[in-house]
Parts: sequence; C-alpha cells; structure tokens
Amino acid sequence: MLKIEDLHVEVDGKPILKGINLEIEAGQVHAIMGPNGSGKSTLAYVLAGREGYEVTKGSVLYKGQDLLEMAPETRAAEGVFLGFQYPVAIPGVSNIYFLKAALNAIRKHRGEDPLDAIDFMKLSKKKAALVQLPDELTKRSVNDGFSGGEKKRNEIYQMAMLEPSLAVLDETDSGLDIDALKVVARGVNGLRGPDRAMLVITHYQRLLDYIVPDVVHVLINGQIVRTGDKDLAKQLEREGYSEVRSASQP
Amino acid sequence: MTEANRQTLLASLPTSFDLGPDWLQALRTQAAAALREQGLPTKRTEAWRFTPVRSLVDSEFSRDGDDVPTLLSALPEGVTVRGLAEVLRSQPELLHGRLDFGGPPAHFAALNTALFRDGLWIDVPAGSAVETPIEISHVSPSTSTPGVAYPRVLITAGENAELTLIETYAGGSAGQLSNSVVEVELGRNATMKHVRVHENAGLQIGRVDVRQDADSSYRSTVVTLGGALLRYDVRCLLQGKGAECQLDGAYLTDGDDHVDHHTLVEHQAPHCISGQTYRGIVSGKSTAVFDGVVIVHRDAQKTEAHQENRNLLLSDTATIHTKPHLEIDADDVICSHGATVGALDQDQLFYLRARGVPEDFALAMLTYAFVESIVDRVSHEPTRARMREALISRIPHGDEIREVT
Ligand SMILES: Nc1ncnc2c1ncn2[C@@H]1O[C@H](COP(=O)(O)OP(=O)(O)O)[C@@H](O)[C@H]1O
Ligand SMILES: [Mg+2]
Repeated sequence: MLKIEDLHVEVDGKPILKGINLEIEAGQVHAIMGPNGSGKSTLAYVLAGREGYEVTKGSVLYKGQDLLEMAPETRAAEGVFLGFQYPVAIPGVSNIYFLKAALNAIRKHRGEDPLDAIDFMKLSKKKAALVQLPDELTKRSVNDGFSGGEKKRNEIYQMAMLEPSLAVLDETDSGLDIDALKVVARGVNGLRGPDRAMLVITHYQRLLDYIVPDVVHVLINGQIVRTGDKDLAKQLEREGYSEVRSASQP
Repeated sequence: MTEANRQTLLASLPTSFDLGPDWLQALRTQAAAALREQGLPTKRTEAWRFTPVRSLVDSEFSRDGDDVPTLLSALPEGVTVRGLAEVLRSQPELLHGRLDFGGPPAHFAALNTALFRDGLWIDVPAGSAVETPIEISHVSPSTSTPGVAYPRVLITAGENAELTLIETYAGGSAGQLSNSVVEVELGRNATMKHVRVHENAGLQIGRVDVRQDADSSYRSTVVTLGGALLRYDVRCLLQGKGAECQLDGAYLTDGDDHVDHHTLVEHQAPHCISGQTYRGIVSGKSTAVFDGVVIVHRDAQKTEAHQENRNLLLSDTATIHTKPHLEIDADDVICSHGATVGALDQDQLFYLRARGVPEDFALAMLTYAFVESIVDRVSHEPTRARMREALISRIPHGDEIREVT
C-alpha cells in the first residue's frame, strides 16, 4: 500500500527527515512514536502534500504510484487521509457542505455518481453517531469554536465519511480524556479492514491499548531508530526514548 | 439631446434659483455658492485623497436620465411614497428642515442639493410597523453619451415606526454618473433596516445621512459589486439617548475598479451603541478604500462603539487603503477599532484540499466565506438569498459553491 524509501525532507533548508524507510501493507496498522520535534508531523504533512516541505532524496510509492507527484486533493481522491494534529478552524465554511464537496469530488475521481443531499445526510448522521459528534456540530463552520476533543472527533467523523484506504492520524489522541479516546479508537477500529492501512502517530502508548498496532516504529531526530511489535510501545512507556535509542546503537 | 447639451458638473450650476419654496431656493443658492467657491474635491482634499474624481470634474455630462428611483415593490400598508417635486409644489412646509438636515453639504452632495429635480419621499408614520420591504432602484441609462443623474430620497419614520428599505443602484455604461443623496430621519424608538446594493458598472457617488432620535435603531448592509468609480459615504448622527446603529458592508472589486467606502458615526447623546463591520475582497488591479470615523462627543457618556474593516487581498496589483479611526471626547466609553489586510489562509486552504476539495473550489469557498457573514446579517430571507447569489456570481468558481450551500 505505502512504500517510503530513504526519504529526506527539509524545511527552510533545515533537514528534518533523514532517511525514512517504511512499508505498510494493506490491512496493517503501523504506529509511529517519538518525542516532540522528532519529525512525526513532518512525515504526515509530506504524505498529505503540504507545501513548504522539500523532499531532497528518496521516494514514496502509494499503491504503486508516485505519491509525491500528486496534488493534495488528488491524494485524497486516491484514498489518502490525514487526521491533523491541530485541525484548523474555518469560520464561514460549513463542515457538512465542505465535506459534501470533498466526498463528491472523490467520488467523481473514482467514476462514481455524486451522492444526493438525502443520501449524504443519512450517511453523515450514521458516521457522526459513530464518533458521538453532535449533529449540530456537523453543520457548524469547520472546527470553529470546537473544543479540542470535538476537533479530534470531527477528524474521525470526516475520516469515516471519506473511507480512505490509507489513514494517517497525527496525534489524534492528544488532549483527549479516556472516554473521548475510546470513542476515537472505536471510529478508527471501525475502519480497519483488509483493504485499508493506517499510520497512527502518537506520543503516548495509551492510544495503542485501544488501537492495537501490527508494527511500531520509533522516530527520533528524523530517523526510525527501532521497529518492533506492539510490545515495543510498552517498552517505550517503561523505559523512555533515551533508553530505546541507546539500545538501538550497535 | 445632443453633444451641445453636455456641460461640466460645475458649469451646469445655474446662476440663480427661482423655483420652489424660499427655503429650498436658499439651500440651493448656498450649495451652489459653496461649490463655486471651493470647487469639487481634488487629491489635496483630505476626505477625497484616495478617490480619483479628477476625470469627473473635467468631464462633460448631459442630463437626460431620470433622477427619480423607481419603486419596485407594491407599496406595503402604512407607507406613503410621494414625489419630492410634487410635495415641494403642493405642501412644501412638510419638507422644511428635512432636506440637508445635517448642515450645508459640500462637494458632490452640494451638487445634488443644487441640481436635483425630483425624488422620493418615503414616510412611515408613527406606530406603523411595516414588515414587507420597500424596494427602490435607480438604473443609470446605458447610452454612450456621458450623463449625470441626481437621485434624491428622503425617508421619515415616526415614533415606533419600523421599515426595511432595499435600494439598488444598477445599470450604467462607463460614462454614466449617479450622484445620489438619501436622507433618513428616525423618530423615537423607530427601526430601519437598510439594504443597499451597488451593481453599477459606471460612476457612482452616493451619500446616506441618518439622524436618529432616542432609542432608534438603524442597521445598514451595503453590498458593492465592483464599480469603475464608486464613492459611498454614510453618516449616522446619534442624537437621542439610547440610539444604535450598525453599519455593515461587503465589497468585491476586480479589474480596474475603484471602490471607496466612508463611514462617519457621531455619538452626540449618551448610551448609544454603534458598530461597523466592513469586509472586502480586492482583486485584479483594483483599489478599495475604507475610511471610517467614530466621533464621541463630550456628553456622550456610556458610548459603545466598535469598528472593524477586514480585507482579503487576492492579487499583487490590487491596492487597499484602510483607515478606521476614533475621536473620543468622553471618558466613560467602550470603543474598539481595527483593520486587517491579508491573503487567504494557507492552512485553511491545505485543510480543504487534503480532504479532497479541488484547489479552485477551495479558494472559492474561502473567498465566499470571508464576505458571507456580512450578508448573513440581512434578516429578510429573500433579500439575503439574492445578495448571496450576487456575491456567488462574482466569485471565481462561485458556481460550484452554489451547489453545496
Ligand atoms: N513549518 C515549519 N517551519 C520551520 N520548522 C519546522 C516547521 N515544521 C516543523 N519544523 C521543525 O521540524 C522539526 C520536526 O517537527 P514536527 O514534524 O512537527 O515534529 P513532531 O510532530 O514529531 O513533534 C522541529 O524541529 C520543528 O521545529
Ligand atoms: Mg507533531
């Protein structure tokens, strides 16, 4: 599904990612853990196509295609979803109308007919219920006046609406209490399937109790220093990043 | 008429005025004298610094067009509409003290006072609450001969009266000038909602003067859809305790448009509230000006006044001048003002695109969102819908927005 090879990325001329290798198969959930500033969000943004991130070396193949060549909206249409660490508020743009525009653009790309208003609303109600996002919030301006938890639930609601093949979730757990975390995890787990893959970025092991990963990577200073199974996350929790890093030194 | 009937604006002033009631002759004589003495504004006239009126001053215009705005709606119960010329003939005393109530006019407003031939007087008597909007429009001719019209409208609303006025200034080919004056007199506790749409491609100079008695409310929403040269001045005199006014506006400019909005709110009495929110989307090689003044007189304690102008600058070649300011002589007041000029937010744009919205469509959504909030304040739903539509039709890729809103 996703194959990242020797990816080097600079921001403002400063190297941030320094040779990332990562391969995710369909059906898998990978987790990336790492301290603040290690480059997790940078990786997420590069996958989604944000401007300002210069790829100086390496490649990213998504379903066999060169992902880095695609415009952000093309990536979305091809099934890539980024759940933002800090979802931006967009006053004046209604959540549901923008999502309808997004969904129908994606459907068009796939050669499907647009959803009509009634079917769209039905789908929206179902997905909002899944993440316990009040119906009222789906109609408000995008993230405008939303609490931190509501923003994160809105991200998962949108993901559920768009049904991506590859979901990259950037610290979707940060700022959530345990109940909200469970709700978000339920939304994510509901989307797991043999045709989908996920890259779950988190700072804490806690989320991985609810979204159990197949593979865990540790990203430090722009490089993946360890890769293991879900027990690696537990070890990190116990021993901290510095231990894991030094253990990785030959 | 022929070319021979064309004159410059100043040359068209007669040497004497001998029609109508004495007080009107006096007003006109005074206005003409002021014009002869001061001339029309130049770049050195502070309030006209950014308004390129030079070409207007030098051009010759005919006066073939009709001055009187057309009443578009059926007249709701409780309202009378009369022609100014007719009232000035038959019952001039009814208008005495009501025209130019704000003092001797200057410049283009003085031209209107000196030269208007007819106009409308819309009166909503005390206690009459009119829900149905009164709709009037002034359409400039589309002939190629440059022409000038002097629309003049007087609105009077008695104690506890309520009305909604929708004004449209439309039409006009490049050389047509409409130089209008609208005066509004709100009695105690009267309420007026005023929606004004400028969709004139030609030249427009318009002034709205409002005087408000105690506890009255004036809410204005102006939508300006381009204009070769548009200058709009609105002035509210809050004369009675507890009066409030809200002046909102949205302007969209493109190409070589020049669009210039000026507001002046004078807090003359205590406990009055005023607000101003103007938003502009400025593209192409166009220029937009916002100049807003709030004056709080010494006795106007417990004043609350807010003023905001925000602009979205969509091209490198467009220009924005914005100058909101406050002059406060009272000490117990709450006032704020602010202005911004910025581009579209790249984080917002990326968010929409990352979810699958094509770039053009995302740009249109964000552009529309910037001004939609102004139009949303129009409480009359059909009017609001019409104004949304007018905005959407002016925004690049607006068609796509229409489908999702
Ligand atoms: N837009 C940016 N401009 C400048 N520096 C940036 C930008 N984005 C990220 N960085 C820098 O890149 C490094 C990695 O940041 P980030 O990817 O956000 O890390 P993480 O998500 O792991 O906390 C940090 O040193 C950060 O300061
Ligand atoms: Mg981050």
